[in-house]
Amino acid sequence: MEGLKREFNTMTLVMIPVAIAINIAVGQLALLIKVPLYLDSIGTILVGVLAGPWAGALTGFLSNAIWTLTGWYTPAIAFAGVAAIIGALAGVFGRTGWPNVWWKAILAGLITGLVAAVLSAPIASYVFGGVMGSGTDAIVAMARSVGLDSLGANIAQGTFSDPMDKMATYLIVFLVLRALPQRFLARFSNLKPREG
Amino acid sequence: MNDKALPRPVEARALHPLTSLTLMLLAVVAGAALPETALVLAVYLSLLVPLAALAHRLREFLRTCLRVLWPFVVSLVLIQGFFTPGPSVLFRLGPFSYTLEGLGVALLFSARLLVGLGAATLLTMITRPDALMRALVERGLPNQIAYIVVTTLQIVPTFQARARAILDAQRSRGLETEGPITTRIRALAPLVSPLILSSLMEIEERAIALEARAFTRAGPRTSLVTLTDTRLQSAARWCMLLLGLAAVAVRLTVWRAL
Repeated sequence: MEGLKREFNTMTLVMIPVAIAINIAVGQLALLIKVPLYLDSIGTILVGVLAGPWAGALTGFLSNAIWTLTGWYTPAIAFAGVAAIIGALAGVFGRTGWPNVWWKAILAGLITGLVAAVLSAPIASYVFGGVMGSGTDAIVAMARSVGLDSLGANIAQGTFSDPMDKMATYLIVFLVLRALPQRFLARFSNLKPREG
Repeated sequence: MNDKALPRPVEARALHPLTSLTLMLLAVVAGAALPETALVLAVYLSLLVPLAALAHRLREFLRTCLRVLWPFVVSLVLIQGFFTPGPSVLFRLGPFSYTLEGLGVALLFSARLLVGLGAATLLTMITRPDALMRALVERGLPNQIAYIVVTTLQIVPTFQARARAILDAQRSRGLETEGPITTRIRALAPLVSPLILSSLMEIEERAIALEARAFTRAGPRTSLVTLTDTRLQSAARWCMLLLGLAAVAVRLTVWRAL
């Protein structure tokens, strides 16, 4: 309980809305310049890394709830649980200090992406009938045409799209952590400090 | 990019936010539990459409449902139709056959998504987020969570404008944001990092300002939002909860095989 209180200090509570706004603004920026990445969880992962797993989980959950609540992307709420786990994982990676080293950050992204793919697939398959109404449905169709069932096809699609996106996200988080002043980083206790 | 200010939904005056929320949850549960496309559509037509009409938002509601739903329907009709095995083949295309069973699955999922996404859409149209948060705080949701949601809704338009300004500024300095995919990916860092860094640097200032205004103080707060609830609505909410539980129970027992 004490730890939870320390995790949710005023800095964290103020950072979470900013992080969600970053998720939304950067996600839309990625759409605007047409890169094949979602980039809609940078804020979530930053909060997880800096403040801890619970704060990361809350940021992920609320971020998806707000996508739905505002009507920008109505289906998002169905994936709020996955977003929460992505945030919690970021907290765990923060404790190990991985996001401070570029290749470990990418590795963290790869693991996060695979976890996200496996967790999202049943939701996409059983709630949405296997489609998301976007370009990724072409990958689902291809996977089905070589004989995979609905769940298998969604896992295949996720494994294709998610690790790429999360590796890019963690790389950006690595760059941001390097650029942030020590004075700012010192306000948070989750991230293991850089060596040297 | 969505530059419009946040829409401020008009409140369906008579309904307490929790009543709207319960209604929408009931619709979602019923949509998921009912085993027939026609029954699922009946939930949409008998619950969501009349409510939207009551709130004078019917046209907007139907249009939004259509906009959100059609990409799903297209993909469902194609993918489920071609890849659901079944005896009644409607037509063939190369090595793939389109089955009636697949079309049936596609229509059932489409109807369920219509109810689920429609309920979420209607909730945002008839309930103001701040009123909903107030109602949840009155029922025990931590104040901090309400703070996060309401603040986010307020600052997002600023962030979208800032992202737009950074994009324009970097373009005017010659940053290539169009062309081959490698160019566009390389443009990400100079666009994303200024946005993130500048917004993070404001956090500390805001935290100090809030702490100076007793943000962390324990105990109840006064709210600008006041809600009216009635006995009738409270009773209706309990009935809907029971109805929803009953639907789940029937789904898990009687309709198990469907």
